[in-house]
Amino acid sequence: MTGTAAQMGSRGLRADVRAALAVVVLGTGWELLSRKGVLNPAYFPPASQVAAVLAEGLSAGELLPHVGATLQRLVVAFLLAALPGLVLGVCMGLWGTVRRVADPYVALLYPIPKVALLPLMLILFGVGERAFVVTGAFTAFFQVVVNTMDGIRQVDPTLVEVGRNYGARGVGLFWKVVLPAALPGILTGLRLGLGLTLVTVVAVEFAVAKSGLGHVVWSAWQTLATPRMYAAFVVVGALGLFLTRGLRRLQDRLLAWQTSVDVW
Amino acid sequence: MGSPTPRAGGVGQSAVLPVLSVILLLAGWEASAHAGWIREAFFPRPSSLLGQFQLLLRDGTLGEHMAATMGRLFWAFVLAAVPGVAVGLAMGVWRAARETLDPLFALVYPIPSVLFLPLAAFVLGRGEPARVLTSAVTSFFLVVANTMAGVRQLDRGILEAGIHYGATGHKLFFKVLLPGALPWIFTGLRLGLGFALIVVVAVEMVGAERGLGALLWLSWQTLKVRDMYVTLLGIGFLGLLATYGLEHVRNWLLPWQPKGGVRR
Repeated sequence: MTGTAAQMGSRGLRADVRAALAVVVLGTGWELLSRKGVLNPAYFPPASQVAAVLAEGLSAGELLPHVGATLQRLVVAFLLAALPGLVLGVCMGLWGTVRRVADPYVALLYPIPKVALLPLMLILFGVGERAFVVTGAFTAFFQVVVNTMDGIRQVDPTLVEVGRNYGARGVGLFWKVVLPAALPGILTGLRLGLGLTLVTVVAVEFAVAKSGLGHVVWSAWQTLATPRMYAAFVVVGALGLFLTRGLRRLQDRLLAWQTSVDVW
Repeated sequence: MGSPTPRAGGVGQSAVLPVLSVILLLAGWEASAHAGWIREAFFPRPSSLLGQFQLLLRDGTLGEHMAATMGRLFWAFVLAAVPGVAVGLAMGVWRAARETLDPLFALVYPIPSVLFLPLAAFVLGRGEPARVLTSAVTSFFLVVANTMAGVRQLDRGILEAGIHYGATGHKLFFKVLLPGALPWIFTGLRLGLGFALIVVVAVEMVGAERGLGALLWLSWQTLKVRDMYVTLLGIGFLGLLATYGLEHVRNWLLPWQPKGGVRR
């Protein structure tokens, strides 16, 4: 059993090495194909050119404000949604009455692509930050509600029974037994919510906002400033990679007693 | 043992609260609009929305746009599902395929898929194929990831039992591997279909003449709030169909599996 941790460590390292290798191979292939003209350089500029634009944009600070704008929208939207989502999810998980009252709306709104709410938000709040952020917040909200509720409902009744037998009641039972047992589901909801909110925020920026990485991609597309477009691509990809892989590792570390199946 | 404790009153009882909740909300909405507590410019009363819905249904607007969206959704789903399952199975079975593709996919997967629209347009030109391809990207990765996880989580004992009883090659594949991985494949398909809908609507909002997303965008630009609500309802209907419809197919095809919760 002692070998498994070391094995997992080395496997993790190898995966990182392979990822780095993939980037190098992909970058080199791209560079060559573009330089030889196999790929049209107007659409697929050499990787070195993209890297140069990226480095300049990040150091000269031209891209930085857009990174900041996207991050700010992402964080504000998430913070706006997470707490109410957690509260509603917990209530729906604990009490059947709340669940039955709220379920029709959650069931209808959860599968709706939240980008579709953008026009309504634009009417309610006018074209501006508030509309963008609230649209993003809806994304996170429903994901958090649904996963939190499921997490609480899937708590093993035996655990609750044992807790009761040992004298845990009411609030104590919730904090000491139900919540820890539901934590994997809850953290998964928060993590997925954050990732999906990035998707919505970038789509909103692509469609209407005048700042942010989504807007950079859109405007660079319109003006065919392709190196700039791919530079923004790389930044969004890195952000997304952190939100998927990074947070997943964090979750696995926090919940060391849980084994999760590795789906990216 | 094992069977859930029957709720008092069965289905009838548990359906009362949700229905009551919806009726009360709609009645409250109608009354407050009538009394002038909420602005009808933003929240038109439900009865007028019903009228608009009938109008758009009768003059064919809703049907036309919904058909366009459903067509794109269908092709995006096919484009994601067929290669997705194949690649996922290959990555689950062959270590070499897994170790080569996994780091590549992990890099591309987190990029919000709307951003692939310019790339797809470079390759395919601005038009329908580019929109469909864009909508398929993230779905493809979701299907691959879940299919691969489905193969990898298979109990080695079952595989060995299959081999022991003489299953080899395609027999082993179709009789043991595929049925074992099917529940996971279905999860991937459901998530993929839901995600494809998100991207289809977003892409339609950004640049398409037809489709529910386009109708939504048009109704914002012309400030037809009623049309907007009706369109949202149409998108919600598609969302429900995509999410719960596939789940029914799953329960029908995999009767030995416990009926899984839809949301994740």
